Amino acid sequence: MSSLKELQDLIHEKYGIEPSKLDPDASMRETGGLDSLALAEFLFAIEDHFGITMPDDDANIDTLGELALLVDKVRAAKTA
Amino acid sequence: MNHEVCVTGLGVTAPHGSDPGVLFEALLDSRSAIRPIFPDLPKPAAAATIAFDESRWFTKLQLAGVDRVSQLAVAAADLAVHDAGLAMGDADPERVGVYAGCGMGGAAALEAAYRGNGRVSPLTIPAFMPNAPAAQVAMRHGVQGPVLTYSVACASSSVAIAEAAKAIQRGEVDVAIAGGSEALIVPGVVLAWQAMQTLATFQPGEAAGAVRPFASDRSGFALGEGAAFLVLESAERARGRGARSYATLAGWGLSSDATHLTKPDAPGQARALRAALRLAGLQPRDVGYCNAHGTATRIGDVVERNALAEVWGDDFDRLRVSSTKALHGHMLGAAGAIEALITVLALHRRQLPPNANCTQVDPACSLNLVTRDETSAPALEAAMSNSFAFGGTNSVLLFRRA
Repeated sequence: MSSLKELQDLIHEKYGIEPSKLDPDASMRETGGLDSLALAEFLFAIEDHFGITMPDDDANIDTLGELALLVDKVRAAKTA
Repeated sequence: MNHEVCVTGLGVTAPHGSDPGVLFEALLDSRSAIRPIFPDLPKPAAAATIAFDESRWFTKLQLAGVDRVSQLAVAAADLAVHDAGLAMGDADPERVGVYAGCGMGGAAALEAAYRGNGRVSPLTIPAFMPNAPAAQVAMRHGVQGPVLTYSVACASSSVAIAEAAKAIQRGEVDVAIAGGSEALIVPGVVLAWQAMQTLATFQPGEAAGAVRPFASDRSGFALGEGAAFLVLESAERARGRGARSYATLAGWGLSSDATHLTKPDAPGQARALRAALRLAGLQPRDVGYCNAHGTATRIGDVVERNALAEVWGDDFDRLRVSSTKALHGHMLGAAGAIEALITVLALHRRQLPPNANCTQVDPACSLNLVTRDETSAPALEAAMSNSFAFGGTNSVLLFRRA
């Protein structure tokens, strides 16, 4: 299960950023233009979308790929 | 030295649209923007709201954490800067300031937080804070000088413009983007205003004519949302770059009643009126038009009439008066700015917006009210805008023809 595609769709819906414009391995802050406020809001939207609670202590997430792995982990823990 | 203060740009986001000329024409025609809102509320409610297309000013990404009150401010300020023909590169960013009035802040963000069943957006605070509109305007234009917010209830943006004028006059800044915004038409806030017993009552189908300033049958105001900004510069700077000047901001008067939190006070208002005249070096007979605070409350209109009568004395009948709140609603923190903009246009065009919805004038409010049949004012040389706030702060802006 990878959440990457759904996250890309969510970013497109919410911020109008095409999946092709945001490399999953690049920094969302530096290349995606998502500043800390937009990222905080995006994490909130992810929680609503997947019905999950993201951990508060993972501030090191920088790329969409890393974020997708974390969402996978949280979703897996929820269904386990 | 004291610099003369010129108005070189006008920008507005209002229920009547975002073109100052279109707004002014609507007022001349007495077209009300007040409509019924929120049919689910227990008591009927009406307000003047904006069909605002935020995508004209923001990408979806830029909208993260930006409340409507800031969106309206960014749009109006941007229009004012463009109208002034300013490229921000022209001015030293450290010598540009934003002076913004806002009564409440991001009401929609706060309402969403209350209604979120425990799910609260992490950006509620930066969206709600009352100085967010000023900060958003500053970021949009790279303003690095003073970026200030004045929260003085219904006088907020009139005070902001007066403070900006002082900064231009003293040479503290070269360009001031001055005005204000308010956007609090959300159910929780409308309920609070209804509880205050100051909103106009109306029969079904008659919301548009609900606000009747100075009329015998007046019953209060309707809320409005919007934003307006003026660009202020020194006369030397405006001349030097060949800018059009709509008017000179010749005087301003600030006073406090220091008597009651919500009850207006004629002597306090008279002090602000006299201070504005004194600063402008004008006599009452020199001023041909007053855009009144005129909230159409039972007490407020009489007190304002009495303050004007006291200061104008024998020249009282020569002063033509109207309250445009009948048509665009009471924009609270943005009221002073939009009414200043309307006053500047009245002076510039030598046309006066009528005092709408007043078929029978209250004898206690006898004033030379502008009627729809007689809006022309060919000899108009000076005009003023009154803003009197809950809290007792009074602000008067007095403009002269450029």
